[in-house]
Amino acid sequence: MHHLTKITAYILIIFVAISINFALPRMMPGDPITSLTDDPTTGMPVIMDEDIKEEIRSYYGLDKPISEQYTDYLKDILKCDLGWSIYYNAPVAEVIFERLKWTLLLVGTSTLIYMILGIFLGAVSAWKRGERGDLGLLVSVLSIGSFPSFFLAMLFIILFGVKLDIFPIFGATTPFMEYSSTFDAFKDVLYHLILPASTLVLTSIDGPYLLMRNSMLGVLGEDYIVTARAKGLTEWAILKDHAIKNALLPITTVIAIRMGFMISGAIFVETVFAYPGIGKLLYDAVSFSDYPLLQGAFLIITLIIIAANFIADMTYLYLDPRVKHG
Amino acid sequence: MNLLKIKALRVYFPTDDGIVKAVDGVDLNIKREEILGLIGETGCGKTVLGMSIMRLIQSTTLTDGEIIYKDRDLLSLSDDEMRKIRGGEIAMVLQNPMTSLNPVIRVGEQIAETIRLHQGLDKKAARKRVIEMLRDVRIPDPEKSVDSYPHQLSGGMQERVMIAMALASDPELIIADEPTKGLDVTVKREIIRLMKEVTAKRSMLFITHDLGAAAEICDNIAVMYAGELLEHASVDSIFSEPLHPYSEGLLNSLPERGLKPIRGISPSLIDTPQGCRFHPRCDYAMEICREKHPEMVKLEDGRAVRCFLYA
Amino acid sequence: MRGALKSGNVFCKNRIGVTGLGILSVFILTAIFAPFLAPYDPCEMFEPMAPPDSQHVLGTNDIGQDIWSELIYASRISLFIAFTTSIIATFIGTLSGLFSGYYERFGFFVMRVVDLFLALPRLPLIIILAVFMPTSIWNLIIIFVLFGWPITTRIIRSEVLTLRTRPYIDSERMMGAGDLYILGRHILPNIFPLVVVQFVMEARHVILAEAGLSFLGLGDPTSKSWGMMLHYAFEYPTIFISEVWKWWMLPPGLCIVVVILALVFVGFALEEILNPRLRREIV
Repeated sequence: MHHLTKITAYILIIFVAISINFALPRMMPGDPITSLTDDPTTGMPVIMDEDIKEEIRSYYGLDKPISEQYTDYLKDILKCDLGWSIYYNAPVAEVIFERLKWTLLLVGTSTLIYMILGIFLGAVSAWKRGERGDLGLLVSVLSIGSFPSFFLAMLFIILFGVKLDIFPIFGATTPFMEYSSTFDAFKDVLYHLILPASTLVLTSIDGPYLLMRNSMLGVLGEDYIVTARAKGLTEWAILKDHAIKNALLPITTVIAIRMGFMISGAIFVETVFAYPGIGKLLYDAVSFSDYPLLQGAFLIITLIIIAANFIADMTYLYLDPRVKHG
Repeated sequence: MNLLKIKALRVYFPTDDGIVKAVDGVDLNIKREEILGLIGETGCGKTVLGMSIMRLIQSTTLTDGEIIYKDRDLLSLSDDEMRKIRGGEIAMVLQNPMTSLNPVIRVGEQIAETIRLHQGLDKKAARKRVIEMLRDVRIPDPEKSVDSYPHQLSGGMQERVMIAMALASDPELIIADEPTKGLDVTVKREIIRLMKEVTAKRSMLFITHDLGAAAEICDNIAVMYAGELLEHASVDSIFSEPLHPYSEGLLNSLPERGLKPIRGISPSLIDTPQGCRFHPRCDYAMEICREKHPEMVKLEDGRAVRCFLYA
Repeated sequence: MRGALKSGNVFCKNRIGVTGLGILSVFILTAIFAPFLAPYDPCEMFEPMAPPDSQHVLGTNDIGQDIWSELIYASRISLFIAFTTSIIATFIGTLSGLFSGYYERFGFFVMRVVDLFLALPRLPLIIILAVFMPTSIWNLIIIFVLFGWPITTRIIRSEVLTLRTRPYIDSERMMGAGDLYILGRHILPNIFPLVVVQFVMEARHVILAEAGLSFLGLGDPTSKSWGMMLHYAFEYPTIFISEVWKWWMLPPGLCIVVVILALVFVGFALEEILNPRLRREIV
């Protein structure tokens, strides 16, 4: 029953996201063509040739009644047809799916690292509450978390890419490189991944860190921790067997939901590092006023985030014995 | 033969509002195989007294005095030495099993943990022992209950798990803090009977505000008020002839004796009244009670009372 | 020893809050008195790409504007957007939270809307809205408010739900007190501290979101914020390999970081004071 309501809710959310994507260009004053020909970055009219205008007109299907436009739009999405990219002169879906693997690699790696590191540091901080170590960790994590990811990314490029010259500053692979082995290819990809991933990890770590610290502080005040101590367990055993799991349970969902939002953070990091993922694509679509591509990228990013949230929600149900065994 | 001797124990908590004198000069002995009831109203410091024997109070506390257990002062042991005694020779039944059991660990594992730690049994042997323990505290179907989570058990069953946990390492002294709190009458009676049975060859400090429970199980009673002891006597003598006006008041507030509450409220532990701490609520208060703080007076029959009426 | 550490800790917490508040005040004063503090009009053009000298403390940008003046005026835009959005969003969130906590049926309806807003990914939606709406500061504020109020509503509502069951509220009601009287006289004062925390959190969020949007080139080009300055610096071809970044990129970036940090400090200190669970002693 519970599952069913959740699933219905998620289907509804997907529907709303799709509808927003459909409605936005059509809700603007005038028709989309006039509002689109004003470049948002400069306010200047963009010179569009007739072909492109025709392309956009057919993409939005503006000559048909609105209900028909909507059903056509839904049908196209189901067929994985997200329109035609003006800039790349290729199907939007194709352009996006080619970029998707890089985003998944970047976000996946960073997520894994930032969650484990954040949870660990949060637990340590709570355990040492009020001592110098806790205060130091707290101030460092809050400070690094105050950096906008694109700013930290730029600083990293200057420091590690230009000044120290130890990491490449753009792309996901070395251009025109012929790899002698898979290991070489792997090394090159990893090499390009380090700076963008570190940026994402550092600017998002405050989330799980603070959640874990607060949750842990709550747990350490619980009666069952006194029980554990009364049994004569060592401090480490209490932390490991009695505190961490209890502190993690209530925050799994929140942490996992943040995982979805890491993709949002990737928009900035990919842009600065010219990392060829879907976030960089979104930025390019904005700069080139490639609206079909922009809307396609928005839709895919949104769907990925919603899917991640859904998985997060479902995992919790299987983790907590109090929910599982009713 | 004394198993535990508490001498001039003081436990103070510094807070933003002032120093909370939760235990303020307590002397108390527990003999081998004695069941001593520590009774008093909520907030009189009795739980803190129990916790400080186990050294379970927060590190910011100021503690002074001696707690001698078998010739060793628990307050001066190292953390490692104390850990071996805690849960091993001295075990504790905490109040409120609902929150004192870890909600995400199976009850069997919570008991087995103590057994493995203090008796060095391996996983399989410990599990066998846990099932025996569960049978001993009369939990139905122990082979199945061992794998239950706390929320799947009733309040009475959770309390039995707490008792089994305390017994797991075969301790000499059990400190039970309000084990009957929040249980309904029938369950309470069963738990009392069970506790009496399992402590037949042990000592126990039974902390409670439930006089009925204390009467049923204890050999001797110590009455605590505002951080200090007011009376110490055998259970029979205190129930037939309470000496201290506070003890008398407590007895009179029992349903079977007219349900007459003591007037006033118990004092804050930050600034306790001058003179006798009970005088503002006492019907027999004299001039001297306002000015001087009474000492504990030992009477011929082995009783002790802190009151100028007997000085 | 431990006791001393603990009281030092409490002092430190306050010090964190005080530091944050101090930094914020400096920025707010700068924003207010920008015309007196800035040596030039930020739109006035000089020789482009001049390195710092006595005339231009932070040099000039690619079209010859004085960066130091630009920076001072940008604090106006960034802070104006952040605080205006937070005030409006917190106001809407508090009101809807109050009423949806107090009136169950209304609350049910509002909470479904809130759930929907919170489930939709905020940043991509903000980006796409910013693309399709005509760019202006007020449109940015509208977008941020749209996504800012729901979280406040949810937090305020759950607090009102617990307050509503307090015995003294019941007795007030039995004595014939009106709903508005109870809400205003008893519930609002109790949730006020929470409202302040929400305001600070929202301001922090908007500073970051505005900087991000402007960095992507979606801000209002007629009123430059720190994020917009970073956008232009980033677009400049040799920003990373010459020394220009030191006076063009670093200052606006650091301003954003310091303001966010100040807000985080204030918020953190407030939360530590307000949240009794965090204050609970560890036994």
